[in-house]
Amino acid sequence: MAALRRRLFQSPWEFRESFIFAAAAVLAGFLVEYATGGTGIVKPRLPYNAVVLALFGVSVISAGLAFRNSAFVKWLGGIPLGLALISAISVLSLIGGIVPQGEPVPGSLATLLRINQIFSSWPFAAAVILFLVNLGLSLSWKLVPFSLKNIQFILFHAGFWLALSCGVMGSSDLQRLVVPIEVGKANNLGYVMESEVPQKLPFSVHLQEFSLEEYPPQLMLFDPKSDKLVAENSQAINQVRKGAIATWKGIEVQVVDFMPYALPGKDGIPRPAERNTGIAFAKVKILSGNVFQEAWLSTGSPMFKPYAVELGGLLLGMVPGTPKAFRSAVTIRDEKGEETKATLAVNHPVDVNGWKFYQMGYDEKAGRWSQLSLVEVIRDPWLPAVYLGLFMIMAGNLLFFWNGIKQHEAA
Amino acid sequence: MVIDFNTAALAAIAFWAAGIVFGVVARWQSSLKIYSTICSVTGSAIMGVFIAIYWSYLGRPPLRTLGETRLWYAALIPLVGFLVEYRWKIDWLKYYCMVFAAFFLGINLQHPDVFDKALMPALQSPWFVPHVVVYLVGYVMLAASSVAALHNVTLQLRSKPNLTGESVAHYLALLGFVLLTFGLIFGALWAKEAWGHYWTWDPKETWAFLSWLAYLGYLHAFRYKIDSKKLQWYLALSFIVLLICWFGVNYLPSAANSVHSYTRQS
Ligand code: HEM
Repeated sequence: MAALRRRLFQSPWEFRESFIFAAAAVLAGFLVEYATGGTGIVKPRLPYNAVVLALFGVSVISAGLAFRNSAFVKWLGGIPLGLALISAISVLSLIGGIVPQGEPVPGSLATLLRINQIFSSWPFAAAVILFLVNLGLSLSWKLVPFSLKNIQFILFHAGFWLALSCGVMGSSDLQRLVVPIEVGKANNLGYVMESEVPQKLPFSVHLQEFSLEEYPPQLMLFDPKSDKLVAENSQAINQVRKGAIATWKGIEVQVVDFMPYALPGKDGIPRPAERNTGIAFAKVKILSGNVFQEAWLSTGSPMFKPYAVELGGLLLGMVPGTPKAFRSAVTIRDEKGEETKATLAVNHPVDVNGWKFYQMGYDEKAGRWSQLSLVEVIRDPWLPAVYLGLFMIMAGNLLFFWNGIKQHEAA
Repeated sequence: MVIDFNTAALAAIAFWAAGIVFGVVARWQSSLKIYSTICSVTGSAIMGVFIAIYWSYLGRPPLRTLGETRLWYAALIPLVGFLVEYRWKIDWLKYYCMVFAAFFLGINLQHPDVFDKALMPALQSPWFVPHVVVYLVGYVMLAASSVAALHNVTLQLRSKPNLTGESVAHYLALLGFVLLTFGLIFGALWAKEAWGHYWTWDPKETWAFLSWLAYLGYLHAFRYKIDSKKLQWYLALSFIVLLICWFGVNYLPSAANSVHSYTRQS
């Protein structure tokens, strides 16, 4: 294109300067990390982070408007630097996408450079701050003078600015605790991941009932010698139902009767029972080699031993199905004594007083008979700002899609 | 099931192969063109019908395991080729697309996937289908875009001009980016409901973010009027990021505790 080759750092600056600048920023970040022993950044909390962010946003926009003719500021808010910073963030994310995150090994180089917690490291912060400067400047020029033509640009870029800045700044205000509760009891203490010391919460959670639904149980052939399951011929997972057939080398099993909830009578023969006490029983016909037999299989429970069948050194049994749904009926009582009744289930959190309550887990060893529910409580005061940003991006996205089509019709 | 995977896959591959053969011969004997179209479309229709049957057999949309999503790629990628031919009269894209779809089915034939009807509670959400479908279609577009770009690169190397080809690659990348953006945000909104936080830098999330950044970079470079020829290389190579996102993530050291590796049950 250009007839004369521009020298490095001779104006106007473009890609080479941008990439050198971005690389220098990342490198400086790693140096700071190394010098401080990989402690990462300490972010301020409310209200200080909000003040810092507001000041930052206002100064970037004002700088953009005040110096819009300066060649340097133009470069600082231009696409070449934007691309260089996108590349910088890509490289850092690439590290974060390959190196396992979150297990600091004291004294290792990875820990010193914080590449095992890259997303809270100085190099990442440096790239993000410059990204916000670059994005903010380009935004200022499209915001003033305002024109409806720029709306797609504004929705995309302002939305991303908002979501990124508030997501990063707000993470220090995110509270995430696990509250373990036993059936019939209440608890107002929560635990965070990193610590064994419980924290007092501004509410208590009373657990009335915990219930768990399972998928149908599965037939399994177990080899005690190798401590492994034997793969079924069709490689299918054998959900037990009446009529189901499973085959292994030399063994064929047909389910002739299935009761999801039953209890053995005095004669050992199972009879249908209540849902909350009963366990799964299946009557099977087994053809092993030339030997034919009928037997009952059962998953067992904390009270009953499972029923299994020995077939030439192998064990044929039935294991409970994987959990299909589990829920906790709870009453949440806040400090003023106000009560909220709710049912928590996976994917169905409940909002109370700015906290979100999630069904997280239970006593997995006890399975369906668990007397313990783990409820996770989360407070994230910055969420509305992040969501506003995301919705702006989606609105911009719709316009982009629409205009993309129109442009092509015209072309 | 009424029809098993091996039969359906082999039949689809056979029809696509016939479609390609007829298509190539039709360059000299244009009356054969109609057979090419019929065969190609039939191949995809077989996969469509198979997915429908499989869906009702499983009692849930077959969108969960890698093997299941490959069924959709196989059905949808040729469709993009057909649409591009219909819309821009470009006929070469569909050949690549059919070969590519056959490749996906080939992987499934090699690695029969476990039939598992159980859907873990976190996946039982109204977000499940939109999130996965948007991503799937987005990746299909981007794969087609990369394939088109690759073709453009080979034409460049033979110094043949090819403006429509470049605009097709661009347009597919644009559509793919739009869908990727939606997929990413739907995923974040869902994660908030299911796991408590919208973004945790889980390896799969990180790689999805990386592929989004790759196309974000492309769109800005395009806007900055970077030579469209160079950008064809970029688009063709972006495919590598997509491939890692599809298949590679589970094999990376960082994947040890990803919430997205549903296929490996412990
Ligand atoms: C790194 C900072 C960024 C800068 C400096 C920047 C700058 C620009 C500029 C100058 C344009 C051309 C607008 C026009 O001519 O009307 C543009 C287009 C665009 N930007 Fe950005 N942008 C940045 C980041 C982003 C981000 C993070 C997103 C996504 C959320 C985004 C999405 C878009 C889209 C979709 C277009 C339209 C592309 C097209 O029309 O082909 N940009 N950007």
